[in-house]
Amino acid sequence: MVELDISSPMTVSTASREASVTSSGNQTAPQPVAPTKKKRNLPGTPDPDAEVIALSPKTLMATNRFVCEICNKGFQRDQNLQLHRRGHNLPWKLRQRTSKEVRKRVYVCPEPTCVHHDPTRALGDLTGIKKHFCRKHGEKKWKCERCSKKYAVQSDWKAHLKTCGTREYKCDCGTLFSRRDSFITHRAFCDALAQESARAQVLPSTNTEENPEIETAVSSSPTALTPSTTVLSIQSPGADMTENPVGVLQQAPATISLTTGTVTSSSSSSSTSVFASIFAPSTTPVTSQPSQSSSTFSDLICAMGRSERSTTLPSSSTAEPTLRLSSSLYLSNSASSLFPTPDQNHRHYAPSPQPAMSATALLQKAAQMGAAASNASLLRGLGLAMSPSSSAQKDSSTTQWSGHVKADSNPVGAGLGLGLPSEGGPALTGLMMGPSSLFVNKPTTLDLLGLGMVPGGASTAGLSALLTSISGGGLDIAAAGSPLGGAAAATAEAAPDRKHNGPALL
Amino acid sequence: MAPMDERSSSVTSSPLQLFSMMSPSPSLGSPYPWLRELKSEERGLCLIHLLLTCANHVASGSLENVNIALEQISQLASADGDTMQRIAAYFTEALADRILKTWSGLHKALNSTRISFPSEDILVRKLFFELFPFLKMAYVITNHTIIEAMEGERMVHIIDLNSAEPAQWIALLQALSARPEGPPHLRITGIHPQKEVLEQMAHRLTEEAEKLDIPFQFNPIVSKLENLDFEKLRVKTGEALAISSVLQLHSFLAYDDEFLRKKSSLASKNSNGVHLQRVLQLNQTTLGELLENDVVNRYSLSPDSASSSPPSFTGSPKMDGFLNALWGLTPKLMVITEQDSNHNGSTLMERLLESLYFYAALFDCLESTLPRTSIERLKVEKMLFGEEIKNIIACEGVERKERHEKLEKWIQRLDSAGFQSMPLSYYCMVQAKRLLQGYGCDGYRIKEEHGCAVICCQDRPLFSVSAWRNRK
Repeated sequence: MVELDISSPMTVSTASREASVTSSGNQTAPQPVAPTKKKRNLPGTPDPDAEVIALSPKTLMATNRFVCEICNKGFQRDQNLQLHRRGHNLPWKLRQRTSKEVRKRVYVCPEPTCVHHDPTRALGDLTGIKKHFCRKHGEKKWKCERCSKKYAVQSDWKAHLKTCGTREYKCDCGTLFSRRDSFITHRAFCDALAQESARAQVLPSTNTEENPEIETAVSSSPTALTPSTTVLSIQSPGADMTENPVGVLQQAPATISLTTGTVTSSSSSSSTSVFASIFAPSTTPVTSQPSQSSSTFSDLICAMGRSERSTTLPSSSTAEPTLRLSSSLYLSNSASSLFPTPDQNHRHYAPSPQPAMSATALLQKAAQMGAAASNASLLRGLGLAMSPSSSAQKDSSTTQWSGHVKADSNPVGAGLGLGLPSEGGPALTGLMMGPSSLFVNKPTTLDLLGLGMVPGGASTAGLSALLTSISGGGLDIAAAGSPLGGAAAATAEAAPDRKHNGPALL
Repeated sequence: MAPMDERSSSVTSSPLQLFSMMSPSPSLGSPYPWLRELKSEERGLCLIHLLLTCANHVASGSLENVNIALEQISQLASADGDTMQRIAAYFTEALADRILKTWSGLHKALNSTRISFPSEDILVRKLFFELFPFLKMAYVITNHTIIEAMEGERMVHIIDLNSAEPAQWIALLQALSARPEGPPHLRITGIHPQKEVLEQMAHRLTEEAEKLDIPFQFNPIVSKLENLDFEKLRVKTGEALAISSVLQLHSFLAYDDEFLRKKSSLASKNSNGVHLQRVLQLNQTTLGELLENDVVNRYSLSPDSASSSPPSFTGSPKMDGFLNALWGLTPKLMVITEQDSNHNGSTLMERLLESLYFYAALFDCLESTLPRTSIERLKVEKMLFGEEIKNIIACEGVERKERHEKLEKWIQRLDSAGFQSMPLSYYCMVQAKRLLQGYGCDGYRIKEEHGCAVICCQDRPLFSVSAWRNRK
């Protein structure tokens, strides 16, 4: 009646199902209350000495294979049929599990294109292979009313019905999502979130009043995920008020990202669970490792960071505050075990109002000034750059200073035999800059170029302009695609002049 | 403080005032005492001007001016001052080194007692990994792309062109063990010039793989990358190959200069000949306008040897050779992380300007991460950034290994080497952005450009990560 290729699976009854899950070496009877976790093979990597069973599609798809001859009632399991037959006063026989050791059985998918068709990738569970076959190679007969998602396996469909529409997520921008993962993905790119986080991260002060603000800021940014907001609310009153709320705040984005990580790991889509392991110290459900092993990337980073200060390289048993998801403190721990160990240092040492401008800002400012005429006067005023001899403000100190230096440098120049023409030339110009004559001729090189400096995008163009003003155009800058095309042309003329000056150190 | 324009005028006015108060004859010891009076912002601007001035003099070869400028800068710059002071210190050291090289005897003598401490190098690289998010991001993106590409593969072989940081592969092992189809058989080939580093890697990785029950094998190759013997890699057919290159490719461009010199000299020799031919054609032709126009075009396109940066693929034999060899391995995936800034300009000034911005961003990051007294910060600044700056500014030819280039150039180069760009996946970018957000330090951004990830600090692109595979 039933087509079987090898042995009948009938012997694999419900009672033995648990045993079939265990590897063949492990035959401990399951304790009633808290069974010790049986060692599960990783999915799709079966025991090498297990018996491989190949069932036909019909067998796999069949629902009620055991039919009562009297009333034609169908049963999925033989045991149930036998019990039913008792009711008809028919002879019945319950088959016992075979007393000898049950050989572990693994099942392959009959569909040749399937990965699990290969015996090395067989699945260990009969129900599993049946569901797999239906899901992947079967027709989707069950449909959810609300979201019209279709399922081939009835149990999948039922499971979906429980959660469909029960939770809705709303992003700040107003978009509604029924699925957590699409909501989360959307949030990453939502502008509203970007603004919120930008604002939220800027709040630095140690004001206690900030706390509720922080909370609302975080919760209004679309962390509609209940766990995170609840835990946040647990945290804030509990959090030490003297503690820098920046700490709370810093943890907040980490919090969100953490819960994301855990959530995505629980939703068993392959790509997201992969991230979870890289990105957040989540529960990797497959590995049965204790939480104290330095589990992930970020843990390693911070573990390394911490132990770098103390010992050499961290051993795996450093009981760092890695993720104990079960405990309610997990967020505070995990936030610290995520990425930012250097961040903690940063918080300690961060010079709050920095008296010194950052170097990048200084460069941009210099670039701006390079476009402005005031720059030339600055340099002249500083007396450091080449003040052309014809310049009106010839401070006496300039002459003296340069004269003094000139006296020094002459022997140097002569001694090195460089024979720079500047020695013989006019006092200042020759000394200060080689092709200085050009500076006199073209004091407004910048105006010729018509540079319009934009602070944000100034970058090289601005500094080049500054440079041009310093050197008076005697410079070969060939910056690609910059508005200094004019400068390049101008400097091309200067190039032959420069060749007279000593060894070209280009 | 006063708004911007007022501030700038105050900058211009105060030094003038100070200047006028200056004593007439400065002593040799401290010629410019008033320089010390400057406030940090003015000092910073002053330093920038001085630096550019000095560089200009170096470029033009006027040595006394260089000396003066260096003297002035030395009054202001300091390796343990504020960001701008530090940057100036390292840049001027590089400029001085450059000048000194012209007296090679002197240069050699001064460097003869230099001892390198490999343990310090290792420490400094580790600090770079820890203190900045760049390597972490590169690793996360690399790992993620590998996992995506290797979905369903059962034999995976990864070649790491600079195998120094175990954290990257440990994270990959963990991610692979969580794969729904189970982990593949993983083989990692690590290349590094130092044996101890590879031993450490092997130990850490095999330990982790055992814990996770992943069939794993680590093959160390003790070799400099440029001398790599591709046979040793033992790439087998049937395995899925991934190559990870983190900041390694640019040093191959160091061999370009010789080639270019030969090429340009050839071109200049030939150009006259070519033009002569064209002139003859023009006289002889009866085709008239069409040909004339063509010739005109050809004239205007005469080779310009003073291009701003070396031609990408046509003039890089060593790089091309290496890329070809990689291509020949037929990797399923190659992930390349490089600095995203043009430090390979043919003129000093170009390189100086670009690297000034680049390292300013990095120094700023350090400033906001560690205090000024931190030894680690000093080490990173001196032994990592300082050395890179010195290489970019002072070295030429084969010596100059830090040949960073912009992402577009790398794309061009890899394209013509037979690779096809694989845009990084949506999820990958999401996760990377998330990670960076959670990092805590402001100013870091990651953006997508031509399908590659670019990590920026304050809108300055710093590093790029791109994925490639063989073009079919």
